[in-house]
This record gives sequence, structure tokens and C-alpha cells, in this order.
Amino acid sequence: MWLRLRRSRHRRQTAGTPLAACWRQPTPTGRTACSETAFLVCDGEMSSLDPATGALLSLGWVAIEHGAIQLASARHYLIAGEQAVGQSATIHHIHDRELARGASAPTVMEAFLQAAAGRVLVFHHAALDIAFLDRLCQRLYGAPMLLPSIDTLRLEQKQRERRDQACAPGTLTLAGCRAHYGLPVHAAHNALLDAIATAELLLAQIAHRGRNTSLRLRDLR
Amino acid sequence: MAAGDDAPAVPQAPVDLAPIADFLASTLPFDRLSPAELADLLNSVAISYHPRGESFDAGSEPRGLRILRSGAVDLRDAHDTLLDRLGEGENFHIGGLNAERGEVRACVIEDALVYFLPDSAYQALRQAHRDIDRHFSSQRSRRLRRAARYQPSPNALLQSIRDYMSTDLLTVRGSDTLQAVAHAMTQRRVSSALVLDDTRLQGIITDRDLRARALTAALPAGTPIASIMTTQLETVEADCTLFDATLLMTQRGYHHLPVMEAGRLAGMITTSDLILARQNDPVYLVQHISRQDSAEGIKTLLEGMPALVVQWSQSGMHAHQVSRVLTAISDAVTVRLIQLAEADLGPAPAAWCWVGFGSQARAEQLFGADQDNGMILADDTQPEHASWFADLARRVCDGLQRCGYPYCRGEIMATTDSWRQPLHRWQDTVRGWTITPSPAAVMRVSIFFDLRPIYGEESLCERLQAVMLQEASRNSIFLAALAANALESRPPLGMFRRFVVERNGEHRDAVDVKKRGVLPITEIVRLHALAHRIPAVNTEERLRALAREKKMAMGDSRNLADALHCIQQHRLQHQCQQIMAGETPDNFLKPHGLPTLAREQLRDAFTLIDESQAALRQTYRAGMG
Repeated sequence: MWLRLRRSRHRRQTAGTPLAACWRQPTPTGRTACSETAFLVCDGEMSSLDPATGALLSLGWVAIEHGAIQLASARHYLIAGEQAVGQSATIHHIHDRELARGASAPTVMEAFLQAAAGRVLVFHHAALDIAFLDRLCQRLYGAPMLLPSIDTLRLEQKQRERRDQACAPGTLTLAGCRAHYGLPVHAAHNALLDAIATAELLLAQIAHRGRNTSLRLRDLR
Repeated sequence: MAAGDDAPAVPQAPVDLAPIADFLASTLPFDRLSPAELADLLNSVAISYHPRGESFDAGSEPRGLRILRSGAVDLRDAHDTLLDRLGEGENFHIGGLNAERGEVRACVIEDALVYFLPDSAYQALRQAHRDIDRHFSSQRSRRLRRAARYQPSPNALLQSIRDYMSTDLLTVRGSDTLQAVAHAMTQRRVSSALVLDDTRLQGIITDRDLRARALTAALPAGTPIASIMTTQLETVEADCTLFDATLLMTQRGYHHLPVMEAGRLAGMITTSDLILARQNDPVYLVQHISRQDSAEGIKTLLEGMPALVVQWSQSGMHAHQVSRVLTAISDAVTVRLIQLAEADLGPAPAAWCWVGFGSQARAEQLFGADQDNGMILADDTQPEHASWFADLARRVCDGLQRCGYPYCRGEIMATTDSWRQPLHRWQDTVRGWTITPSPAAVMRVSIFFDLRPIYGEESLCERLQAVMLQEASRNSIFLAALAANALESRPPLGMFRRFVVERNGEHRDAVDVKKRGVLPITEIVRLHALAHRIPAVNTEERLRALAREKKMAMGDSRNLADALHCIQQHRLQHQCQQIMAGETPDNFLKPHGLPTLAREQLRDAFTLIDESQAALRQTYRAGMG
């Protein structure tokens, strides 16, 4: 497979790292039923939208198993020492003072990769989060993350295109997508709560697309 | 992430699930958990999403409690009858429901986001918290019943007479002589004796009877006591309140009242027993009213009423007891106004009776009741007497208006010619209504079937009621029309998917609990009472009579009484709050502003009404066309 091929080029650099341990776990195939797929739904807060200059400030995640979000698996880390928060504090309410008490990037990534092993990652607007995670992995382990993922935003976009629905700007935000499924309003901007909100959206998307068929993982790609 | 300054240097930030914890804390019974217990509980919670059309039954895995974060679910039984409709913040345990009542299914009727608590955590929670366990184990109707019966710090006058009556009674036989009875009374130092024939109560003999009927008439000492005893006995039930007994005794001038329980003599209550329990009671207000000599005087006296009712309500008087007092007061006002009018107009030219209709007749008035009344004239009334009755009606209705009882908008008043007629004309009118019932006619006259004599010749009212019961009970078309009327106003089960709010005017987003709660119950119960020729008019008495005569299941009868209590209680509390805020009391409750418990109780009550309406639809469908 594509991911496995790309990973093979990085085997040597990553040997013995948490990333290599994570890669060893087999991930669900495209034929796996969505209801039986183990997902890890994640969200990160960044100091800027540009991965080249910004830093990952916090990371939150929660697992979906047997079609349900397991709150016991919820984790939320603030990442210390990456970069001053500066102006972005007005958006995500994380201040330098709190970050100083956060965990180090290697600690957070190790915990994250442990949780991600054998699971399919889920993000809302995956490209951005993955770009930041890739950079972090590159720096820590000498290779990009290279884990299977799906994107609830793209899923929604494709869904609307399929039904020839025009997407007005702003409707594909997390809040906009949730409103479309009648999910309750959630207070945004805390990585963990956003991850849970994204997980709820994914369950709604699966439930609605899979009304008459049993949906498989590849249908979400 | 508000980690406190003294937080240990753990790498992981506190997992902040505050919004979820806050949501749970706003629902029953999780509002009883501490923040720490809630945070602990969240570790067991899973979130799932269920689109419309999905359903759960006894076999659904995994087993556990499902709490609705959003969406709506219907609980239905094996016959697909709607048992309950659940909305945001409510929960169900499909396994538990099936243990209780057989084949229950939960059908998602609106896409639902569910917080799921697995059985192990659910059972652990129940074991750790007795009150949470109780919450889950009580069925809906039981929960409602407790809510209806709960009475904080009872007012002394509201205690049942059972605790105050004397049970050490002097009983004699009808054949005992005057002398023997007088001797026994003297020895026992009592002022009365009860005359029993085996176990049946025959009559009562008092000091006064011995004086007035025996000594004054110089009867021989050997005369049997049965010849002077009072036989038309008024009795009270042992679970009557002191207030009921006091009111009866002051109104009729009795000093002794035999107390019955389950049809047998249980004791006796006397005026001196009551004096012991008397405090600043509403009875005095009734007596003061009867001493006023103008409508203005009565009006002044009633000005303190709202504050007094708030005080009674706060001291634990229940809504149905407040209703009784308020009705006793409006009776007293009516009677006094009639007496004042008679004093001006001279004595009545013929026998007649003033009757109250609707809530006054049922003794179920709260604030803002308008006047519904009429006059029944004896059949020998001559045409030239008409003006006397019209004058009296005008004076009394005007007086009531001045005293704060607004004119009836439907003109159901003694001043309206068709509501002031000789008995035979009344009886003809009733036959007319029952023979050709049009929906409008039924709506107009349905409150007429709740009637009670307030003043004058009571037998006129009784004879009218007899014809009414006879006509109504044997006319299935008329009963079906009444049923259609009773089904007209649906209980507000949908808002927030539970309450339907009034959509127009100043009461947007409010529920008219009188129109949608009290009236449907009244109408359902009236219909059953008419169909089975139950002469009682008070809703609770009707329900008791229906159950006693096996025309209604005991459980149904109690449930409806509880639903009525519950709605009236919240209505009264709402009105008391308005009075304290200086507003005019009304019947519009805003569900948003209600505490969770109140909302659940009201929803339970409305659910019961809905079920009763469904039963009614079954029973009287035949005649409905």
C-alpha cells in the first residue's frame, strides 16, 4: 500500500522510535465496516496557520470504538516550550503561562502515537493538523507521521457535491457541519472538546450515509 | 485550561469535559452528584448517534442507561401505544423498562445524540446513591404521586380530624329510656351520645335535645330515646381536614359531628376539639364576609386575600385546599350579596335557588375565576314576579364584579334570561341540548353540567341535576359529543418536544396550564361521571366515586387526581410568585423558567392526560361518527 511504501523509505531513521512502534501495528483495511473500525479523533491548536512558522500548542484526542465515542480515552495535552503564543491567544485562549506547565513535545507525541496505533485518525480539515504533526515527527523521529486518516470536512464536501448542493462559504466549518446534522451547539476552541465535536460529527455522517447500506471504511476516504 | 497554581507538574492537562459534566448536572437524577462524582462517572460514558427510525428493545446491546443529549425518542408498548416521549436531558434504560412492563421499544423520532452509561456503571451508581436508586426505581406515576402528595410543614388546620376526634364514645340503643341516657351522659361527663342499632348509626342525642325536646315537652322519663334523637345526621370522614370540619360546623351551626371511616362509626369531633386546633384560619374570613352590609365592605375585606393565599400556600396549604377555601369565600360573598339584595327588594315572591356552575360548583377555584351562575325558579312563579328575580340577579352579579369576580364573557350569568328560568324550562333546555348536540352547543353547556346550589331552595337544583344525569347518561350521541369536546384541547406534550406553547399574543412561549391541563382533566372526569350517573361535581369526588363504583380502575382514578393536584400546585405557585412580584396572577407557565423537577412533574401529568384522552377516544369512538 501507498503508506507502507512511503514508510519503508524511512525505516532506518525511525528505528527504535515511538513512531516505528506505532507503524508496526496493523491498521484497519478499507473493507472494515465503519461500525467496527477503531478511530482516533484528534484536534490541535496552533499558534499560526502556517506550519513553517507556527507551532502546535495543544493536542486533544478521543477514541471511537464499536461505533461509540469512549470518554475514558479522552486526552488533552498542552505542549510546552515550542514557541511563544503571542497574538493567537485571542483565538484559543492558551497563554504562555499555562504552556509553561505543559508537557514536552516528545512526551505528548509518544502518548499520541501510542493511542493512534492500530487506529484510523480523524480530523476536521485534516491537511492542517497533519502538516503540523508531520513537521513535529520529522523533527523528533526523522520522518513524517504517515498514518491513515480521514477528514470529516472533505467527507461533507464530497457528500454535498454528490447531491449537487452548493456549499456556501462557512457552512463546512465544524460548527456549520454539526448544525447540518442537528447536533447541539458546542463551545469551540479547546483541542479536546473540538475533537469530541468532530467525533460526534463523524458518527452522524456515518449514520446518515449508511442508512440503507452497511458502510465500509473505504467509503469514507 | 485552568490548572490551579498548586497543581502537580503532571504532563497531561486536566481532561476538561466541563460542558458534558454541566449538561449531565442539569438533568435528573444526575443533579444530585458532586462535581468529583460526575467527573468520575464521565469515564464510563460513551457517546453515540442514532438517526431517526432506529429503535432499541430488550435485546439491544450494550445494556445500560441512555441519556438524550439531543433529539427525541418515543417509548411504545407491544400494541404500539405511546407510553412516553423523551427529549433533551431525559433518559431511559430499555432493559429496566422491559423488566417492568413487558415489550417496550424505544423509537428514535428525531436524530439523537446519546450519552450512554453501561450497566455496570449504572448499577454501581444506584448502589452508591439511595436517592438516585429511588429515582430510577420509581415508575412515572408513582413519582408523580409522591410529588402531588408531598406537603412541607403542614398547617395545623390541614391535619386530618382523625388525630383530634374522640374515640371513647358513649353509645346507647334507641330503646333506652330518656332517664337512662341522661344518667349515662352525666356519669361520663359528656354532652352527647350516639344512638346505635347494632353497629349502624341511627342518630345523635345532645344536652340540647334533652333540654329542648324532652324537658320542655315534659316527656315521661321512660320515653325511648329514639323518639327525640336527631336522625338526619351529617357526618364527616376521618381523613377530612380540621378546616373541612370547622367550615361545616360553623356554616350549619353544629356542635357535634360523628366521624365515619369505611362506612363505620370511628369517633366524634366537637367544637371544643376544633378550638384547640384553631389558629389564624380562613374560616374567620368567611364569617367576616357574612357580617358585611355592602359590596364595598366585602371588597375591602377581600383586598387582603392574595397576600393571605400566598401565606397559606407558603405554610404548606395544598392547591386543592386553597381552591376549597377560595370557593368557600366566593360562596360566602355570593350568599351575602343575595341577602343584601333581598333586604332591599323584599322577600322572594316564589321559591328559587341560586346555582353556581363550573369551577365554583366543583370547589376548584383559584385566582382570577370569573362568575358562572344562574337561577332556578319554582314552576309556580308568576310572570309578574319576573322583575324581582331580574333585579336580584343584576344586583348580585354587579356586586360580584365589584368584589373582583369578573362578569362571565360567555354570559353564563343569572342576568342572562336563559340562565334564569323556571325549573321545567331548565329541564326542557337540558333535553334540547342532549337530543340535538351540536359541537358549539356542547362546548357552551359543558360547564353547566357542573352545578351546585349556593343559596335558596336546594331541591330545585337537585331536581334539575337528576334530569340532567338521566338525559346525559342514556344518550350516547351526546356523550360522544362531550368526548369530542374533551379531546379538543391536547395536552402540551411537544414543547422542547414536550410542551406546546401558546404561539400568539403576549403569552408567547408559555403554556396555558388551565386550558391545557386542568380543563382536559375536568372534562374527561365529567364525561365519565355523567355517563355513569355520578351526582358528585368536585373532580376528586367524582374520581373517588368512579373508582368506588368500579367504573374506573383505582389506579387510573388516582393518577388523574394526582395529575390534577400536580398541575394545580404549579399553577398556584406560579400565581403566588406573580402576586409577590406585584403582577396580576394568570395561568401562563413558561416551561423555560421552571426547575427541572417541576418540568418533569408537569410532563408526567400531561402524559397521563394524553393517555386518558386516548382511552376516552377508544370508549366513545362508537358515537363519534
